[in-house]
Amino acid sequence: MSTLLAVDNLSVAYRRDGRAIRAVDGVDLTLPAGVMLGLVGESGCGKSTLARALMGVLPGNARIAGGSIRLAGEDLLAMAPAARRARLWRDISFVPQTAMNALDPVYRLRDQMREVLTERGGLPRAAADRRAEELFGAVGLDPRRLEDFPHQFSGGMRQRATIAMALALSPKLIIADEPVTALDVIVQRQVLDTLRALGRDLGLSAIIVTHDISVVAYLCSLTAVMYAGRIVEYGPTAALTRAPAHPYTMGLMNASPDLDRAVETLVAIDGAPPDLSRPPRGCRFAPRCRFALPACRESEPAAVAVGDQHRSACLRAGEAPALRAAAGRARTEAAP
Amino acid sequence: MAIADIAREGAAAGKPVPAGALARFAGYLWQNPSALVGLVIYLVFVLVALLAGLIAPYDPTEILFADDGQLAASLPPSAAHLLGTTNLGRDVFSQLVLGARPSLLVGITAALAVATIGSLVGLVAGYLGGFVDRTLMRLADLVLGLPFLPFVIVLVALAGASLQQIVLAVALLLWPNAARVIRSQVLTLSQRQFVEAARVTGASEWRIMFVHIAPNIVPLAFLYGSIAVGWAILTEASLSFLGFGKADAISWGTMLQDAYASQALDRQQFAWFVPPGICLVLVVLAGFLISRGYEELLFPKLREGR
Amino acid sequence: MAYFGRRLVHMLIVLWAIATLLFLLFRLMPGDPTIAQIDPTFTEEQRQLVKAQFGLDRPLPEQYLIYMRNLAVGEFGLSFRQRRPVLGLVLEVLPNTLLLTLSALIVAYAFGALFGSYLAWRRGSLFETVSVPLVLATRATPEFWLGMIVLALFAFGLNWFPSGGANSAGARYASEWGRILSLDYLHHLVLPVLTLAIYLQGLPVLLMRSNMLEVMREEFVTMARMKGLSERRIMLRHAARNALLPLVTAFAVGFGQSVGGNVVVESVFSWPGLGRLLVNAVANSDYPLAQGAFLIIALVLVTMNFLADLAYGLLDPRVVHGDR
Repeated sequence: MSTLLAVDNLSVAYRRDGRAIRAVDGVDLTLPAGVMLGLVGESGCGKSTLARALMGVLPGNARIAGGSIRLAGEDLLAMAPAARRARLWRDISFVPQTAMNALDPVYRLRDQMREVLTERGGLPRAAADRRAEELFGAVGLDPRRLEDFPHQFSGGMRQRATIAMALALSPKLIIADEPVTALDVIVQRQVLDTLRALGRDLGLSAIIVTHDISVVAYLCSLTAVMYAGRIVEYGPTAALTRAPAHPYTMGLMNASPDLDRAVETLVAIDGAPPDLSRPPRGCRFAPRCRFALPACRESEPAAVAVGDQHRSACLRAGEAPALRAAAGRARTEAAP
Repeated sequence: MAIADIAREGAAAGKPVPAGALARFAGYLWQNPSALVGLVIYLVFVLVALLAGLIAPYDPTEILFADDGQLAASLPPSAAHLLGTTNLGRDVFSQLVLGARPSLLVGITAALAVATIGSLVGLVAGYLGGFVDRTLMRLADLVLGLPFLPFVIVLVALAGASLQQIVLAVALLLWPNAARVIRSQVLTLSQRQFVEAARVTGASEWRIMFVHIAPNIVPLAFLYGSIAVGWAILTEASLSFLGFGKADAISWGTMLQDAYASQALDRQQFAWFVPPGICLVLVVLAGFLISRGYEELLFPKLREGR
Repeated sequence: MAYFGRRLVHMLIVLWAIATLLFLLFRLMPGDPTIAQIDPTFTEEQRQLVKAQFGLDRPLPEQYLIYMRNLAVGEFGLSFRQRRPVLGLVLEVLPNTLLLTLSALIVAYAFGALFGSYLAWRRGSLFETVSVPLVLATRATPEFWLGMIVLALFAFGLNWFPSGGANSAGARYASEWGRILSLDYLHHLVLPVLTLAIYLQGLPVLLMRSNMLEVMREEFVTMARMKGLSERRIMLRHAARNALLPLVTAFAVGFGQSVGGNVVVESVFSWPGLGRLLVNAVANSDYPLAQGAFLIIALVLVTMNFLADLAYGLLDPRVVHGDR
């Protein structure tokens, strides 16, 4: 399998009140073609910033502070702005969070689809309209709804419309930022099924950014866990969810209720993410980690291989099985 | 902490806004340069108005003669006459300085009137609700449907032109916005616990209205008052220009009317008619800046949009 | 639909209330109550005519009904000064006021939309920091003073434009349209329109700027960037199109308000419009004329407010097609 996306040591810094905050700090990520990768983490971990950095739309007070983003071998950051803009939507597109006002309220969907297909796809109008109908069909929407305005769509339908829009130019890579978060459970499942089917039928490569690990489990074959601006664990979803090799991931798995299994104790992760304007010395998770050793606060742990294509940035990654067992028990018990 | 927080706290405790807020207000001004500029301009004009008698070198209505006995008419600016003289030989600078008084007087009294009427109506409508509320709000709608200047002209035509009439006319037309906003505030406050508490202890409705709720709407009343100042001043100037001012009064508006009627435009006597306008612009602009700054103080969310 | 029905009813109620208010105001004047409609120097014939028209010998409530009925058909009585029906005098000058106001508003709003967008685009620049207070200053400027400066500079100083009126003295035209569409009329129109436009542009400039700033923060603008659309297309087709909506309403409302405020501009330029008619009527104690002029001004104001509601409803698809 060829590598579609290779992010190497990427950092993004915000400037707020005179302080520099590294929302993304030295992130390494690879995505093979035809694979869906889930990027998981709690609010503020930097995953949305990473997504936007990939799309090249960082807010005014944010800056790329280092690293490279290689899409099909070309470094997007090293290109001239015009060259980069030419690749937008054609090579890499975006599905936003439903709750946002992501569609222009004063234009019908047909006009918005047409705009992308003619302006960026170079299609003549009739061909653009046909393609728009095709796309709507592919995501399970009635092509007649193209006549409608965004506010006439329900949440789930609006989300499908944005997926259709993202597919318009048959991009190599789609980045979806919390694609189902704002939907109710039943609609969530429907949209996820649509995405899964598309992934299978079109061989889509995607990065699904979410805080909900169950979405990732359902959709993605690869997972990257992000914490405080860094990737703490990365690997095949099955292995990562069944046998997490980082205390944070273990905490995430324990904190997510699973409707299929019998009642189990939910274990919350104490504390809050660190202040990124003054990141703690050593491992960023150490202050909240029950398995932390003094060595953990000395230096940032490097990523260690724990399985096939599976790595974890933890000094105690080797002890993973024992840690998993301990993590599963109630908080009041003493740590090993 | 902003005055808004203090006002809210005061509302929670049922107490009026304390005087120590002034120091914090001053601190806030430091952060908001435009409001500060507005305040400074205002103070300068107030000083000028107060000390006008001392600053003006001549009596503004006095017809002056040159040394050789000729009428000192339409003289260009000089050391003796900083802005020259009118076509009847009156010193323009003295007129300018003394003209500050009626303008500021109108502005401030109109502001007070608007704040008072707006507060009373808002208070009564918001607190008593029902028929009283609906009637008062209908009245507000009606007033807002009236063309401003034409109506003021009609009122002045019927009641005669004097500063009091002008202030009254302006106040009668500007109270609705203040009343509406204050009414909303009163509606919110009425739900608060301290009102319940007061009722339980047997306070009469009037007492609750005036002693408990009223002090908490003072900041809003002040805001709308400050907005009214600029309008009032411009209205007085317009009315004077149109010839509806008092006969021999000197105000910036009457100066402009005088200049216009005496063909100062044709004679290109810019020194006569430009300064009064500039003064008007400055004072009204200062009013805008202050009220905008104050509005941001009361509603901090507005700050982001700028 | 029900929405518009309600606005229409509201408009009629406001008009009725204003008319009633005027009726009461004029009747409350001290002295002979008929003085509102009858001038002491009227001929006997004129006196009888007006008395009959307004039922001035009837009891007050009946007079009120007659008054309202007269208003509905446009009967305002006789002008004291000109001895002619007021309605005729008002209708003569109405086109001048409407043209002046409309032209000035179009210029002001076109400029406002463009300049406001530009300021939003150039946010944070020195140009913007200097421009915003300047624009604010234009809103603080007395219109008549602005007119005086414009007159002094361009009419009296440079002699490029006439100093007043709507037509040169002694000019003759084939018809009313001919008069209005003549170059001479246009020549007279320039300075008053310029003055009014300078005064009026402050609102659309600041409104457009703040709308643009808000819209530019919306997700769909970021999305448009992610789609790789050109900055120009994003600014014009998406940001400005959304930011423009409130301006349309403001335009309609501004028209209504400006018609009233035109009073001073019309006076400075001796522009024969409603405002100047009102001022002269009041100065001459010509009560029927003053009433008529005022009522027509109020009518325009209320109508434009109503049209503003209509316009916004039609332009915002969320209102037309029903919000979910």
